[in-house]
Amino acid sequence: MTRYALTRLALLLVGLFVASALIFFTLRVLPGDVAQLIAGTNSTPAQVEAIRADLGLDTPLTSQYLSWIGGVLHGDFGRSLLTGSPVWDQLVQKAQVTVPLGLLAMSIALVIAVPLGVLSAILRGRAGGTSLNVASQAIAAVPVVWAGMMLVVVFAVWLGWLPAQGFPRAGWQQPGLALRALLLPALTIGLVEGAMLLRFVRSATLQAVGQDFVRTAAAKGLTRNQALIRHGLPNMALSVITVLGLQVAGIIVGSVVIEQLFSLPGIGRMLVADVGNRDLIKVQGELLVLTGFVLIVGFVVDLVHRAIDPRQREAA
Amino acid sequence: MLRRSLAAAVALVAASTLVLTACSGAGPQPSATGTPDPDASVAIRLVLEPSNLDIRQTAGAALDQILIDNVYQGLVSRTPEQKIVPALASEYTASPDGLTYTFTLREGVTFDDGQKLTPDDVVWSLTQHKTQATWTDSDRLSRVKSITADGQKITIAMAQPDSQLLWNLSGRAGIILKKGDKVDYKTQANGTGPFTLSNWKQGDSITFERNAKYWGEPAKAKEIVFDYIPDNQAALNAAQAGEVDVLTGFDANLKKQLEQNGDFRLVLGKSTDKGTLAMNSHNQWLKDKRVRQAIRQAIDHKAVIEALGSGQTMFGPIPELDPGYEDLSSVAPYDPAASKKLLAEAGAKDITLTLTIYNGYGTTIPQILVSDLNAVGITLKVNAVEFPTWLNDVYVNKDYELSFVLHTEARDFENWANPDYYFTYDNPKVQQLYQESLGATTDEAAAGYLRQAARIVSEDMAADWVYNGASVLGVATDITGVPSVNVNERLNVAEIAKSKG
Repeated sequence: MTRYALTRLALLLVGLFVASALIFFTLRVLPGDVAQLIAGTNSTPAQVEAIRADLGLDTPLTSQYLSWIGGVLHGDFGRSLLTGSPVWDQLVQKAQVTVPLGLLAMSIALVIAVPLGVLSAILRGRAGGTSLNVASQAIAAVPVVWAGMMLVVVFAVWLGWLPAQGFPRAGWQQPGLALRALLLPALTIGLVEGAMLLRFVRSATLQAVGQDFVRTAAAKGLTRNQALIRHGLPNMALSVITVLGLQVAGIIVGSVVIEQLFSLPGIGRMLVADVGNRDLIKVQGELLVLTGFVLIVGFVVDLVHRAIDPRQREAA
Repeated sequence: MLRRSLAAAVALVAASTLVLTACSGAGPQPSATGTPDPDASVAIRLVLEPSNLDIRQTAGAALDQILIDNVYQGLVSRTPEQKIVPALASEYTASPDGLTYTFTLREGVTFDDGQKLTPDDVVWSLTQHKTQATWTDSDRLSRVKSITADGQKITIAMAQPDSQLLWNLSGRAGIILKKGDKVDYKTQANGTGPFTLSNWKQGDSITFERNAKYWGEPAKAKEIVFDYIPDNQAALNAAQAGEVDVLTGFDANLKKQLEQNGDFRLVLGKSTDKGTLAMNSHNQWLKDKRVRQAIRQAIDHKAVIEALGSGQTMFGPIPELDPGYEDLSSVAPYDPAASKKLLAEAGAKDITLTLTIYNGYGTTIPQILVSDLNAVGITLKVNAVEFPTWLNDVYVNKDYELSFVLHTEARDFENWANPDYYFTYDNPKVQQLYQESLGATTDEAAAGYLRQAARIVSEDMAADWVYNGASVLGVATDITGVPSVNVNERLNVAEIAKSKG
């Protein structure tokens, strides 16, 4: 186990390093630069050059990369080219929206997927099961933007229960308002992700039904459903945890889109704006943190999985 | 240049009219009932967020729009009708030969940080604007010879007359800053205006507080919040949910939805937004004037206005709000048959051209251009790109065939007199007329030269002006005092009030 963990950790670190280089150099392929943007459409080339030198954009790329990664290793993500404010501070500030949004979306996805997934497995072959199955397939295929628009029309415009967009200016100092602001966007992501997860839970449950130990339990006098819930579900939970880990990436991508739609001041919306401004120091910091988060979640899921699933240990 | 000499009393009246005219020039305003609430917070939806607040160095109308007049001021300011009025100067005079301008600086003006405004600050600021190469608009004071102060009297001596000097002083080049200020201009502001910057949440909103120490008439609202919501549908949702009180940069086609429950009214005002279709004169087809004319005559400008639901047609480089405007619709009227004929004469049948356009402009304009040009046998490919890409390819490298940009700036005819500008238009006669206009000593003469020059630009088919945009606003019925003219360029919020109940 320890050896496995160490190998897996080394892999994680290599992954992070490769990601940082990839992010840095691919971003440099984007045409246009921030100095030209600052100077605007009534500027002379000399003006732009002066601004570029001011920002340190006239040094070789490799040395720019090394100084950036050197800073990151010391926990310093640098300062925004445009605003001059520290990138890390901005990330922390925006994470106060994105992290709760992601957690809320995740919880909603679970609340939808687990009971309904099990139910649709139990009702397999009956009308209820089939309709659940079809509904989940349909919802999982819906683009997240469209789902968001529909929810806004129903809950914000028609019913007026929830705000259509934005976030309270006082942020989490007004916890009630902040939570209300996140409900619709989280519901949007949660619905779409939940529908995908539901189908996974359903097939994992069906698989569990076919397992020997469930059949054995059923033979001992438990009903099929009792056996399923008592012995099949823990097994199924393991697979669901793995899939949830994979879904983190989906939720991050979803939140980028959703934050645009609901004008939420989160990391996703900031990322889109920063790419548009060619504020590359900020963009690479944001992407590295997001990529790092996905990689670390994968790492943790792997370790947890291995720790609780005896079969994996034997296989190794 | 008008010779003005205002008595102090008149100056006071002028100053208060400046504040009062902030909302005149407005279209039909919804009449609010109830009394204005002095403690109100008004939320205004804007489209484009500034990337930073450095009014000295960072270009872009997004900064001018909110910071000038509200937070920072110059010696003079401009009204929505584009007239020059006193601001930090209580009065000013110009000599008839246009070589000397004298301003009387107001007493009792303080910066946000409490420091008193001195003539020294004024001389320093204007000198910086003139000499700092990285400051925006630094070339605007190139005809200024010296800036001096004697007591409260500020004198600007000119090397040669500049008919645009006062106009430029009412913009970026005239902003008065505290001498050697250590404020972090990118995120903070230290000005003399009726508002102070209280908070900027990047990617979300900018909040202004009423400046309690303001030298003039205090602002009507206690707090103004600018909410940056790029998407019109999201903005409409926010309005319907009561989250914003004013929408700017709105879509007139959403009038019905906006007004359906009676809480909002759509207001239209004129603007200097010019939807400019630049044509690269180095292109094998576009260097032929007949092809450029054919393109102009192929475009159904009235249909563009109908599709946008607002704005007006425009057939030359100068919009109606700017000096030198005249109706040039006869130069290239919509006529597909004539257009086809011109293309045949030029041997340009069935050609393909590429339009490079910033993707933030949406699809309406490209669609119209594609179908109108297709109707006369030109295949138009649309290349929608991010703004930095547009800047790089079109603006810097002039690597384009056709380009569409909404140029918002008022009085920007100079670009047609600059052969190095991305328009690739080089006509010495136009350049000479522009110089004559700058050197004119009366507003009428200056406008006259511009009018001649603008006609030549249009007759040369230098570009097409697809439309002259309108300022499209949505205003809640309990809000008064919202300016409606050219709000992309300037949005003076001192008069905006929200009524109680």
